[in-house]
Amino acid sequence: MHSIFCYLLLFIIGFQSPNVPVFEQEVRSILKTHCFECHGEEEKLKGGLDLRFKSLILRGGDTGPSIVEGKPEKSLLIDRVIAQEMPPGKRKLQKHEIELLKSWISTGAKTLSIEPKVIPRGFIITETDKNHWAFKKIKDTPIPTVENLSLIKNPIDAFVLNKLEAKGLTFSKNAEKNLLLRRAFIDLIGMPPTPLELQNFLNDSTPDAYEKQITTLLNSQHYGERWGRHWLDVAGYADSEGYDGSDILRASAYHYRDYVIKSLNAGKPFNDFIIEQLAGDELLKPPYQTTSPKDLEKLIATGFLRMAADGSSAKDVDIKLSSNQTIADTIQIVSTSLMGLTTQCAQCHNHRYDPISQADYFRLRAIFEPALNWKEWKTIAGRELKIQYPEDKIKSADLEHKALEIDKKKNERLSAIQKEEFEKSLAKVPSEKHATIQKAFETPIAKRTAEQKKLLSDYPNSNVNAALIIQRDAKLSAEFKAYTDEADKIRALKPAIASYRVLTEVPDKVPVTNRFERGDFEQPKEVIKPGHFDLFANHNLGIIPEDDPSIPTTGRRLAFAKSLVSENHPLTSRVLVNRFWMHHFGQGIAGNPADFGKLGEAPTHPELLDWLALNFIKSGWNLKEFHKLVMTSNTYKQSSTRTETLQKADPDNKLLGRMNIRRMEAESIRDSILKINSKLNEKPYGPPVPVTPDDYGQIIIGTDTRDGAGRFTGKKVDLKGEEFRKSIYIQVRRSTPLAVFESFDAPILNPNCEHRNFSASSTQSLLMLNSQFIQEHAEHLALKLQKEAPKSIEEQIKLAWILVYSKAPSKEEIDVSMSFIKEQTDHFSKNMKKNDSKSDLQSLSALCQGLLISNRFLYVD
Amino acid sequence: MMNYIPSRRKFLAESSMGLGSVAAMWLMHNEGLLGAPIKPELDQEKFDLSAKKPHHAPKANAMISLFMQGGPSHHDLFDPKPEMDRFNGKAFPGTIKYDSTDQASNKVFASPWKFKKHGKSGIELSELLPFTSQIVDEITVVRSMHTGVNNHGQSIEALNTGKVSAGRPVLGSWLGYGLGTENQNLPAYVVLTDPASLPVLGVSNFSNGWLPSMFQGTVVRSKEPRILNLDPPFHLKGKPQERLLSFLDVLNQEHKQLHPWELELEARIASYELAAKMQSAGKEALDLSQETAATKKLYGMDNPLCADYASRCLIARRLIERGVRFVQILSRNQMWDNHGALISGLPANCRQVDQPSMALVMDLKQRGLLGSTLVTWGGEMGRLPVIQNDTGPTKIGRDHNTYGFTWWLAGGGIKTGYIHGATDDFGHHAVKDVVNHYDLLATILHLFGLDHKKLTYHRNGQALALTDNQPGQIVKNIIA
Repeated sequence: MHSIFCYLLLFIIGFQSPNVPVFEQEVRSILKTHCFECHGEEEKLKGGLDLRFKSLILRGGDTGPSIVEGKPEKSLLIDRVIAQEMPPGKRKLQKHEIELLKSWISTGAKTLSIEPKVIPRGFIITETDKNHWAFKKIKDTPIPTVENLSLIKNPIDAFVLNKLEAKGLTFSKNAEKNLLLRRAFIDLIGMPPTPLELQNFLNDSTPDAYEKQITTLLNSQHYGERWGRHWLDVAGYADSEGYDGSDILRASAYHYRDYVIKSLNAGKPFNDFIIEQLAGDELLKPPYQTTSPKDLEKLIATGFLRMAADGSSAKDVDIKLSSNQTIADTIQIVSTSLMGLTTQCAQCHNHRYDPISQADYFRLRAIFEPALNWKEWKTIAGRELKIQYPEDKIKSADLEHKALEIDKKKNERLSAIQKEEFEKSLAKVPSEKHATIQKAFETPIAKRTAEQKKLLSDYPNSNVNAALIIQRDAKLSAEFKAYTDEADKIRALKPAIASYRVLTEVPDKVPVTNRFERGDFEQPKEVIKPGHFDLFANHNLGIIPEDDPSIPTTGRRLAFAKSLVSENHPLTSRVLVNRFWMHHFGQGIAGNPADFGKLGEAPTHPELLDWLALNFIKSGWNLKEFHKLVMTSNTYKQSSTRTETLQKADPDNKLLGRMNIRRMEAESIRDSILKINSKLNEKPYGPPVPVTPDDYGQIIIGTDTRDGAGRFTGKKVDLKGEEFRKSIYIQVRRSTPLAVFESFDAPILNPNCEHRNFSASSTQSLLMLNSQFIQEHAEHLALKLQKEAPKSIEEQIKLAWILVYSKAPSKEEIDVSMSFIKEQTDHFSKNMKKNDSKSDLQSLSALCQGLLISNRFLYVD
Repeated sequence: MMNYIPSRRKFLAESSMGLGSVAAMWLMHNEGLLGAPIKPELDQEKFDLSAKKPHHAPKANAMISLFMQGGPSHHDLFDPKPEMDRFNGKAFPGTIKYDSTDQASNKVFASPWKFKKHGKSGIELSELLPFTSQIVDEITVVRSMHTGVNNHGQSIEALNTGKVSAGRPVLGSWLGYGLGTENQNLPAYVVLTDPASLPVLGVSNFSNGWLPSMFQGTVVRSKEPRILNLDPPFHLKGKPQERLLSFLDVLNQEHKQLHPWELELEARIASYELAAKMQSAGKEALDLSQETAATKKLYGMDNPLCADYASRCLIARRLIERGVRFVQILSRNQMWDNHGALISGLPANCRQVDQPSMALVMDLKQRGLLGSTLVTWGGEMGRLPVIQNDTGPTKIGRDHNTYGFTWWLAGGGIKTGYIHGATDDFGHHAVKDVVNHYDLLATILHLFGLDHKKLTYHRNGQALALTDNQPGQIVKNIIA
């Protein structure tokens, strides 16, 4: 019965009578994609034909009308596309596209609205374009009603349940308490709870036990490290320049990474966070060298616009080409991360799908050119901001003074030895010559007369070289080394002159921005002024000045940043909340986080998206409030199990009748393992932990000890616990990503990453089975179990389960584990030399490995 | 209802059932992937390495790239220039694009080695390549290669990834992405590295760029352990790891019961099975003791000068036989970068690779594999016609030249006994039938049945390709 019903339902949905196609909806986008470039949007019309409106199509070109209403077989347009004469080039119309054009003509070539009488040349934005969901003003949507009010925890639930109920569905039951806590921990800090944290939660019977956990997690230092990583993905953060194979290190990039983490931890309103990153320098007055530490943060924030791959310091690079590529990548980072638009398509020609013209693209580019001036491009070293604060200067001078004291002592001692040795040597010189030889010796070498020189060479013993004497005498050299070491030690304490990777404008050097024909910087065309996309003409986004007289810089980026975070901007808040949502649910409300244009997937819950976007603005762009709202909803708390009903009605979970099961990201896998086996080094911030290839070409954490010819020396440098720091502090070198990260789909920053892959491959499996990484950490965990549960293997198994799965094992699971351990131990002890007691540890390690590589650990249920 | 039976067979049997259905579903999903126009990414794509149908009927289904990093001197090996003899030691009559200006000279440097016609085709090769001379009737010599970027890194990027910029996927990754592989127990893309060092650009030579990590090259080293993470640590070898896999399977099956219809979980369970199979299949594929003495001798394994390269060529053949899609044999760092001491350095390099390269082509042919296996031999550049480092006959060398250099190709639908293109009288610039890096890559994909414009990957709203908007032309004249 059930399946027949479903079949019928499918029948009804699948075989609805087709809509009559209309020009604005289906037809225009096909023509725009394939034809407008020559027939409408460029200055010259090919064949006198303009296809932008139906009236123009009817009028036709040099060879007459393009269509005859009702008669596709008599329409020139159809003839030409079927004959594949048009469009020229390799990309032809698809069959279904031609069918659609035919069906439009045969049904009378309908339009939705009356077309304008006067049609200007060039790029036109139609009403349909403007009415695309993402370009419309964000609507203040009323919260819908639902039947089952008891399931509503907050408005999110109402929006989601309303759609579920419309399909006869409802929420899945809440996830088990321990799974829910594990989910919350991994979502917010990227690591599971400790047994104590878990126990406290399970024992807490107060009604707001779960809410309290969320608050605690949001206050954890690890929260900023976890959500900072999400932001660094879209910002394209890397510790190296990329661009070419040399992939030079970016020594000062980490200040920006730390800025992101600190901002998120401090709960900085997201609008300020965005303004600082786009225009932090414009909030301050130059010279920036004297900026206070508090304001320095705003300059470091502009590192966001310095994240794109950058060939400025690479060898043999065409700097015009590389600088223009860096600018294009920077614009791509800005537009995908904040606007959810693929503007890069409009760099060479008008966007083929979205209403963004090439002029729009260059208006956007003009906003950044005063700071990213390709005609006077600065080297990387030349643009770094170097700061030493007065108190640091004083401290440095003070330390130098102390070091000089030691140098002085050393020199005095040296003179003393010299004197002593010289006097000894006089024994071999006739006494009448003592005075003259002494004078000769004390005269500086350059000033010695020929006579004095001869004298000293006649009595070489008198030409005392104290340095040589010290070198030859072990005791003396130790004494002198101590002086040098002490002075060095003191000098090492001097505060370094800090260097920051920032973006600033050069005052009074504002370049002119030109449109580049076909995106080619060798073909500059008309001058373009900074401004918003035409598409947003009616959104009241304010004006972007060419040069704001009230501040020292042009004010272009500041005005742009402020417009992005104004409540009138249709994209920014939608794009942000959609991405945050994606990180909680594994999928966005709109499916393509970086493309809200025509090719992007329309939102499954547009009203919810708008409500969240407006609510986010109303909350003061408060991300922590957003987490609380989402994570305390019943929508979030649902179980992730697919029920038969849901599987049939909504296999892709578009309606959110359950939670999605999600694999942990690469960094969370590593961080979780480190937390579980108590190896985690929680030290925050600072220069990244280095990575290096080993002689497999595999990238591991470690210092590069290859020699000048690139040969492996096998030397190991002790990292002193740095190797156990959180993953966000591991160096992100574009050409050599850490193997564990790369294998588990860490982002490729080229230029940034909007959406990670989640692959399952045998490379991952081999890594999890045999790599040194997993073997080491499984053993760390086994040692921890032996230490913390010394009584019995059963206790060790129970603890392992709670640590790795956040849940105690069942009786059966204990039995299986016991029998596994027993067989492994038997095997190991049989195959080992006598008196080797490692077999217990080895079998326990194997158990730990089994847990750490199992799906139940790798996935968030 | 869990049963702990420490039996690997059970584990394999159960999960291979699972594998079948997962693979089938992925296959169905992926078939729509190729040849599709630019379209929205409605669902997150799933990726796998199951064999896939190309766009059109292929001529090649496997490839072995013999990559000669540093830039072998085409003047002295493949591209005889009698005109240079007249000018030997005299000023070069034209302008030269030098790379290292500090040691540059404009004195023409005619090849000190003799060229002779070989085979029925009469292709002229240098006396430095006595073995390659024996297979001239099997190969096409392309004398008009061109990348036009005069340094190692960028030219390697160009030939490997289609463009000079860093961070893109290499050819081997694209082949894995587009075609999958015939043998799921072995990697689709294997890289055989030189025991001395990695070429310039290091691991970027086999990087998947922004393609999913499963399409990365798997490195096989010259010494044990040959494949990273292939072997269990010593104490886990054999039974203990079998038990671990069975225990893992129990855990995973239990978890899966809570998550019916969750394909990704099944895929991961299957991937552990693949890993286990790879352990034995990998070992077997790399076991050269299965080869006859005659075969080993053919490759030159008895000659210490070329034994290592010979073993890698032989491994390459064994991998191709077992269904691996793409094998890349990398030379050591800057092996052919003869800025100085060309007189001694170049012959030494040739002795290392000449015989094994010949043997590979002959061996593939006698096994009936050459028809479907494309073999390529070449580096990222050639050399200049003039002397570099003019400080005495034993010290002189040649500087970089990416404006004209030579590759040879064999098998996989390539013409036999054929010369394509030409450089000018001094071998400085390719002047006839120029083959750019993007032309070569488009042609290779074409031989595999792939359209270089249609094989795309969607990222940040763009459809990206190996040749990405460059005017790649298929070099029809070298195709049989």
